[in-house]
Amino acid sequence: MQNSQQQAYDRGITIFSPDGRLYQVEYAREAVKRGTAAVGIRTPEGVVLAADGRLRSELQVAESVEKIHKADDHLGVATAGHAADARRLVDMARRRAQVEKLRYGEAVDTETLTKAITDNIQEFTQTGGARPFGCALLIAGVDDGGEPRLFETDPSGTPYEWKAVAVGGNQREAQDRLEEGYDDLQTVDDGLRLAFEALAATADGDLTPEGMSAATIDAETATFEALERSEIGAHLDEHGLLDEGSESDEE
Amino acid sequence: MNPNDRPSLDLGGSLDPLGVAPGTNAAGSSGGDIPAAGAGGDTPAAGGENAVEYSTGTTTVGLVAHDGVVLATDRRASLGGRFVSNKNVVKVEQVHPTAAVTIAGSVGAAQAYLKQLRAEADLYENRRGRRMSMEALSTVGSAILRGLPVSPLLGGVDPAHDDGDGVEPHLYQLDGAGGRIEESAFAATGSGMTVATGALEREYDPEGDVESAVPTAVDAVLAASERDTASGNGVVVARVTADGVETELRDATGALMNGAAGGVR
Repeated sequence: MQNSQQQAYDRGITIFSPDGRLYQVEYAREAVKRGTAAVGIRTPEGVVLAADGRLRSELQVAESVEKIHKADDHLGVATAGHAADARRLVDMARRRAQVEKLRYGEAVDTETLTKAITDNIQEFTQTGGARPFGCALLIAGVDDGGEPRLFETDPSGTPYEWKAVAVGGNQREAQDRLEEGYDDLQTVDDGLRLAFEALAATADGDLTPEGMSAATIDAETATFEALERSEIGAHLDEHGLLDEGSESDEE
Repeated sequence: MNPNDRPSLDLGGSLDPLGVAPGTNAAGSSGGDIPAAGAGGDTPAAGGENAVEYSTGTTTVGLVAHDGVVLATDRRASLGGRFVSNKNVVKVEQVHPTAAVTIAGSVGAAQAYLKQLRAEADLYENRRGRRMSMEALSTVGSAILRGLPVSPLLGGVDPAHDDGDGVEPHLYQLDGAGGRIEESAFAATGSGMTVATGALEREYDPEGDVESAVPTAVDAVLAASERDTASGNGVVVARVTADGVETELRDATGALMNGAAGGVR
């Protein structure tokens, strides 16, 4: 697909192409698109994370597909792309949150944590022998004073802040749905509904709760809470997003 | 392409922000940005076995008022409390836009400590675009004090939590073992602390403001100066309020001298 001259610039991540691009970083972004989607939404009453996972067989244990992680009491991380790469960054976020508490006696705020992670990601775009992280993270938190925040990290190590954002496969479809539906969001439940609608847009309309995950961080309590799969099924059912052929795990 | 050049995912080597490992401390462990006060590289560690100067000869006091904190110290530096080596020392210094520290103990260690704490506060503010809270400042201030022969008082104010006009004053007593005790009323350190505490116990007004606390602080330092041979030569007073830190010099009778005290910032 490329001429031999261009391929030479593919080999090392630390080498710019003549037109100023870092191909390995761009390929890492492609790796993110190969993953299933993750969505984050900020509302006045809290932040929502939701993600769709892929089960390779009905024999796979659904809980083993981890797309949303608790980083600290007030912080959650959703991931898209290479799951193994993402796990390293999630662990870094967890350790960083604890270090901050030991160092300053205070909970880390979302922006500070995000920038610690992105600074680390950036190192892997400028260091010989390394390869960039093939994942994007959505870092959601409630800061001191009850302010909900939502950040994205990308494989170049740039932090972005969002009101609502989608990463991963079919990102464009999900982001379009978020842009249409973001107005007038008030409650965390509004956020969950829009998040599931955006995920449905990446999956041709219907979702099954198996493999999906969602979590909220309430602005008042600043506490991360993961939704049970049965709760996700109930939400999908309520909003008419449930795939007819699937049995939700309600009990 | 040396594999050893690969970046490390580790946060400065270990999860050891309280500095149990030798030569590290809370500040050094998160990326090693700021050299530790107690680890001077080629030079002998300040306050360690090679320390030249060590004395606690001093009186420092701190008082909490509803609108801020008053810190005051005497102005004498002595060698072992038996020879007055300097009669015009400023032992209270600003370390943060709205916080200051008094020092009692080894001069070298105290100076290194103040520099490091100021660097921590500045770096925090520059990186995050907001000032360190007193909780954060005192937590770092106690962690980087471990192992140093210094007994500081840290006084400062936070903006009121409801974004109103008020402030939340805080006073902490720190110790060389890394201890941190918040005082709700007043505290004293140094060789004159017992005399000063007696004066504060009698005079301190829990309802008072910064202006009414200043004479009380001066009285406490003067009382200690009367009886403690390592304290004397006048008083330095620092008012710590939402507007910042204002320092003034007073003579051995407690009368105001011309000009603000130098040496801060």
